[in-house]
Amino acid sequence: MRLYEFEGKQLFKKAGIPVAEGQLAASAEEAYDVVARLEQPVALKAQVLTGGRGKAGGIRLVDGANEARTEATELFGLTIKGFPVRKLLIEPKFSVKQEYYLGVTIDRANYKLVVIGSGEGGVDIEETAEKSPEKIVRKTFSIGEPMYTFDALAIARKIGIPQDLGKKAAAIIVSLFKLFKQYDAKLVEINPLVLTDEHELMAADSRVSLDDDAVFRHPELADLGIEKRHEEGEMTPREQQATEWGIPYLDLDGTIGMFPGGAGFGIMGNDFIHYYGGKPANFMDSGGGPKPERIAKMLVLLDENPNVKAIFGARFGGISRCDDFAKGVIMFLKDHGLSKPMVMRMTGNMWQEGVKIFEEAKEAEPELFKHIEFHGIETPIEEISKRAVELAREGGN
Amino acid sequence: MAILVDKNSKVLVQGITGGAGTFHTERMIAYGTNIVGGVTPGKGGQTVAERPVFDTVEECIEQTGADVSVIFLPAHFVKEAAIEAIRAGIRFLVVIPEHIPIHDMLYVREEAVKHGTTVIGGNTAGIITPGEANLGIMPDIAFKPGRVGTVSRSGSITYYVADTLTRTDYGQSTCVGLGGDPVLGSTFAEILLKFEEDDKTKAVVMCGEIGGVYEEKATEAISRMKTPVLAMVGGVFAPPGKRMGHAGAIVEGKMGTAKEKLEMLADAGAHACKTFKDIPETLGRLGV
Repeated sequence: MRLYEFEGKQLFKKAGIPVAEGQLAASAEEAYDVVARLEQPVALKAQVLTGGRGKAGGIRLVDGANEARTEATELFGLTIKGFPVRKLLIEPKFSVKQEYYLGVTIDRANYKLVVIGSGEGGVDIEETAEKSPEKIVRKTFSIGEPMYTFDALAIARKIGIPQDLGKKAAAIIVSLFKLFKQYDAKLVEINPLVLTDEHELMAADSRVSLDDDAVFRHPELADLGIEKRHEEGEMTPREQQATEWGIPYLDLDGTIGMFPGGAGFGIMGNDFIHYYGGKPANFMDSGGGPKPERIAKMLVLLDENPNVKAIFGARFGGISRCDDFAKGVIMFLKDHGLSKPMVMRMTGNMWQEGVKIFEEAKEAEPELFKHIEFHGIETPIEEISKRAVELAREGGN
Repeated sequence: MAILVDKNSKVLVQGITGGAGTFHTERMIAYGTNIVGGVTPGKGGQTVAERPVFDTVEECIEQTGADVSVIFLPAHFVKEAAIEAIRAGIRFLVVIPEHIPIHDMLYVREEAVKHGTTVIGGNTAGIITPGEANLGIMPDIAFKPGRVGTVSRSGSITYYVADTLTRTDYGQSTCVGLGGDPVLGSTFAEILLKFEEDDKTKAVVMCGEIGGVYEEKATEAISRMKTPVLAMVGGVFAPPGKRMGHAGAIVEGKMGTAKEKLEMLADAGAHACKTFKDIPETLGRLGV
């Protein structure tokens, strides 16, 4: 879960990391009022959950309230990498003598925390790492290991912080490291850490990404007004519907509705459809052990999608049970009805029960099943993929 | 021989009194897995599926000689349960739940390395040595004893690969679910090297996935292995930057695209497979 700059800075401030005193505005009028009160040159900074804001024109320096209103109006009309601007952070303008980079993240391959520093801040750190790796300083820590002031002093010295500010910089680095652990972060960055003309250090921007799976144990975030949110940019109406139903779902631009079991085959099944010359209309994951109601809703999403010409169903029951799967499909057929051709395969945990439920329902109401081609373990999944591509082609004509 | 578990493994279940714990304990026993007991703090003295329940792992080991544990607990209990098991002397630990906080898994891994414990998961379907032991939630129907090992990030992919190996009579030596969470108890490299030591395993199929870093780390191990490795990576056509189900399956910038992973694995000497059908064809060509 990524935080907005102003949210990250709230955490910084609490941790004792110096930041500018900022105020939020949600409209051009609010921006006018804030700047009128401040009576000094300010920066208007678009709050979006993505990088590259400066390049996209998301930061404006203004001198007075009228100019602030004009610029803010423009900013609120911007969409930066799919993220519409809904809030501005307004901060007093400051001078910049030097910019540094500080960050803490996880090296997953080596199971370590990594503190990264650079004397070249304000730019894309990945680019620096690639082009001039010698300008990057790294220090790794085990999760259970504390960071001492001497560790931080060493980093400050190596990235070229002036000697007389070394202890202040070290305090910032130690605080950043503690904050990373305290909030279960995946990434915290100060980019840039600015040295001002007044010889002060200040975090000019924040980038904080927290572990969604650990947000539950940080109720203090909600007290700061930081709530759990969807990571992506704007969702399509169908993605929104799926999210409300608790189904991981993404719209893609093809014609085959993907109705798979777990996420693993959800991902690989999309590749299979491509290999056989088709294009999936979506990615979807049922989650572990779905109940019939969820299975039925997954099919509703696909049947009501006008781009979907045929549906590909695959269930290899592990933690999920085939009987529940069959019940869900039947529930959908009865309550909603299937308007598109569908080919599906079902096997795994409790498959005999699933097949029995299916056959009984079909015998009772064959009309409901007229669009379904049903297969068991005897048909390889490649054949099912191929057939789905054929059905989508026929349906497309 | 097999890796990590066989019919002699003495298995305990942490969270045995919970719904999923009880359901799957009965399934594992029905398969023939040597389940010797369970642990749920506060429920010591009860029995589940005719197995004794203890308050602590330490006591369960004292009474039953358990050396392997399977965790069926909500994600936020995993850190403590795993560290308890590791410190009590469990040799091999299977972490079934998903969405375990990343920092928690870093602590678990650190403790495991310190004590020489092997951990798989979180978000794994478990591990099966066909005909001997089934730990976790994998469906029996896909498996039969044989000579090919598998290691995969995804449960459903494991079933499809095993099903393919079963219908073509190769069977499986052991199938390991590495897990779908972003930080995992073991890496591909560590499991592959265990297969390399196993006489019964004549080839290994590894199934990776878009995102994460564990496939890249496997190349060095693959290049020194004598046992042939077949590699699949899911997500070749996945849209970049989108989260696809598994918390781990996110493309991080240029890192971790499926195509690049597959190329790196092939460069290291793995035989790349696109669909499951390619697996028996490749094994045939290699004379496995």
